[in-house]
Amino acid sequence: MKPKLVPPHRRRGKTIAGDYLLEVRGISKSFGRLSVLKGVDFSLARGNILVIIGPNGAGKSTLLKIISGLALPDTGEIYFAGELISNLAPYRIASRGITQLFQDIQLFLSMSVVENVMVGRHRHATTDFMSSGLSLKKARDDEQRVFEAALEKLALVGLEKAAFAAPASLSWGQQKLVGLARALASGAELLLLDEPYSGLVADEVTKLNQLIRALQSQGITIVIVEHLTDILMGIASQVIVFDHGEKIADGTPAEIQRDRRVIDAYLGGEQPGVREVDDQ
Amino acid sequence: MVLNGIKLLRQMPQKVAQARLQNRLLIILAIVFFTVPLGAGAYPVTIMIDIGFYCVVTMGLIMIMGLGGQISLGHGAFFGCGAYISAVLTTSYGWSPWAALFFAALVTGAIAGLVGRFMFRLHGLILAGVTLALNLVFFYLVTSMVDITGGAIGFMNIPPITIGGIGSQDLLFNYYFIWIMAFLLLIFSLNLTDSRNGRALRALNTYAGGSEDAAQVLGVNVLRYKVWAFVLSAVYASLAGSAYAHYTRIIEPNTFMIQYSAMVALMAIIGGRSSPWGAFLGAGLIIGLRELLRESVPVLVGGLSGAYELIAYGIILALALLFMPQGLVSVVRRAASKRTKINET
Amino acid sequence: MDSATALQIFFSGLNLGSIYTAVGLGFFVVYSVTRVLNLAQGEFVMLGGMLTVSFHNFGVPLVPSILLAIVITSLAGAGLYRFIMLPARSASGSTWVFLTLSFAFIIEGIALLIWGWEYRSLPAFLNTPSLRLAGATIFGQTPWVIGVTVGIVIALFVFFNRTMMGKALRACASEPLGARLMGISIGRMAIFSFTLAAGLGALVGALITPLTMTSYSMGLPLTAKGLLAAFVGGITRAEGVILGGFVFGMVEAITAGVIPGGYHNAIAPLILVIIFLSRRRGLLVTAGKG
Repeated sequence: MKPKLVPPHRRRGKTIAGDYLLEVRGISKSFGRLSVLKGVDFSLARGNILVIIGPNGAGKSTLLKIISGLALPDTGEIYFAGELISNLAPYRIASRGITQLFQDIQLFLSMSVVENVMVGRHRHATTDFMSSGLSLKKARDDEQRVFEAALEKLALVGLEKAAFAAPASLSWGQQKLVGLARALASGAELLLLDEPYSGLVADEVTKLNQLIRALQSQGITIVIVEHLTDILMGIASQVIVFDHGEKIADGTPAEIQRDRRVIDAYLGGEQPGVREVDDQ
Repeated sequence: MVLNGIKLLRQMPQKVAQARLQNRLLIILAIVFFTVPLGAGAYPVTIMIDIGFYCVVTMGLIMIMGLGGQISLGHGAFFGCGAYISAVLTTSYGWSPWAALFFAALVTGAIAGLVGRFMFRLHGLILAGVTLALNLVFFYLVTSMVDITGGAIGFMNIPPITIGGIGSQDLLFNYYFIWIMAFLLLIFSLNLTDSRNGRALRALNTYAGGSEDAAQVLGVNVLRYKVWAFVLSAVYASLAGSAYAHYTRIIEPNTFMIQYSAMVALMAIIGGRSSPWGAFLGAGLIIGLRELLRESVPVLVGGLSGAYELIAYGIILALALLFMPQGLVSVVRRAASKRTKINET
Repeated sequence: MDSATALQIFFSGLNLGSIYTAVGLGFFVVYSVTRVLNLAQGEFVMLGGMLTVSFHNFGVPLVPSILLAIVITSLAGAGLYRFIMLPARSASGSTWVFLTLSFAFIIEGIALLIWGWEYRSLPAFLNTPSLRLAGATIFGQTPWVIGVTVGIVIALFVFFNRTMMGKALRACASEPLGARLMGISIGRMAIFSFTLAAGLGALVGALITPLTMTSYSMGLPLTAKGLLAAFVGGITRAEGVILGGFVFGMVEAITAGVIPGGYHNAIAPLILVIIFLSRRRGLLVTAGKG
């Protein structure tokens, strides 16, 4: 069924029925003459881990930006928990429970590690400018709560000892974890991770894996865009394969590994551990 | 944090040490500031009052430039707004100076809010041009509305602002007025910097390692925060402006022109944009330099001291930007942190 | 409004528009190559005017005076790049902007030192008398301003499109990586752009001195107006700057003719700021995405 393509800014407050936490319908995006995404559709159930793979330039990062609101699609809609979000400003989308961890992390370098994570807590505190400036009790209590929550998230990723360090003094892997802690502090139900494994050494990869599994068991839904396929097949509930802006496969890891089109386009022929399948 | 709850003590030892040092510094400075002038002559007091006005406006500017990371080269207009609104309301319409002070702050803040709402949809450097232009607009508006503002000649006979019997007709009163204002605003700014809102602002400052995208996806309404920082900075300038009007009793448009805006920007940069303390350092250094030049220039080559000041300001600004981009505050901080280093595991 | 007044306003608009365009082009040249907003541009204009007056008063004929002024100011522009901008080439954009501001302070101070507070003036070039055209009076310098500005625009057009240097500059602006690969040195392009902008500013300064007089402090307000004119049209393209300059000029001339008092000095920039801000808004689609 071809989804109806209506310009994003025409729709207001639309909702749809359904069980899926995230529904992406008919998303297309071009930069000038370069078409980066073409009519992408998929759905993601709550509590699942969706892994999106595909060669570079396949539009995966752009898709994440569109979901989190940092980029506007040319056509299509995105629904989160049944509510249309693709016409909202990014901070509004974030307050509905979606956040993103960027490929280059983008930590706030002028603040300490714990302060970075405290910013993650932003939407959970409501102190206004006057209360902050006058240091009213309400503000101080808020600050205490936010600080404690931030420390807790840092402890989750094992970095509570680095709380007062400058982000630039940490290794890349540690910075990634701080970024993750910051994202977790926002209490998001849906985490968008853009190439979280890039730049990590072997034991950091294992640790991140464990963390992601732990998050899933807490009920958080995760979308991961990545290159490293081996590791991810182990944790993914759903895999989507992109090629040149189009979705060419969508299913469980096992199904994907058997899919001929995927093998040809992406995995490049014979892949160790994958049985060659004759039927098509 | 300046004054903070006890629970935090257990968990943030280094922060607490820093806060303690800062509090102690504040108290010592307050004592010095408020007792020394009693014995000093009129001239040093006048200089300090000068520094005081620059300090307050610069503190506001640091709010938007340092925390928010946006460029504003038009703050002279807000300083002037406060001055003229207070002047006109008290002189021509008989308002109480205190009422005029608050009203001026409100109006100036509202104007900043309106302008900011549209202005901050632009990015970074372009703001420099827009704020410059708006400073011009203010200047020409004031010079044109001759009936109300006295035009280019200036506005005279502004009444003093008083508490009980004493008022700004006495020199010392002005000293205490502006410096108490400066300290109160300093405490407000410090509290703000270290709060949720301060962090949100610092997160936006792309010139100091912030990231608007990252802030957005964490739920920070970037536009709103920039506007609020701008409004606050305008209010600070307006308060100083009103006090200035009652101090000098005569104001003229040229005082609030682009050169003034550039001066406070200069002070903010040299002092250090990342902390409200930078305002004290920047204003103190520049005015100190000015006085030094005025003393020594007649001895040097005969020439207008104003010229040497301008050249000196330019050179210092360039040197600061090239070699000390974080400003004097960072130098002081480094010295202070060596004293408060507590062993972390 | 009778036709004489309308014609007067029209020529005034052309005059002002030419000035703003010429100043704006100075910003354009620097910005397009280096992405720097040169807040010292107004100072270059002031220098050009002051130097021309000084040489002329010294007895040097007009044209050599102007040429000398241009050369000296161009050197100042090169100096700005070489001694202030170059050491900071790895810094952020806002640092660069403030560095140009520091240079503006220095130039202003030097100007005050050399020439003092007074306003300086020149007679109209070749002592061209005021013209009377269908009831409107046009000051003799105006045709020079308009003519030379047109000449500047044409010259820049030829330069950017027909000469190797100009094409190299354009390449730097739009395709910095490609330009580097072609062996074009960005540093040399940058210093050239600053020098060119300074020289251009000096020429404008000499042009406008008979009209508006020069003084040491005219730099910053002129920078503000020139920048606004450049932005409104679009500082990234020369056509935009020209458009912005003439729009500003016309708006100012019309408001001057229609509104009594000095309000036009405030209203005109305000109108332009509103145009600029609302145009920006039109380009954005819902709350800041893109």
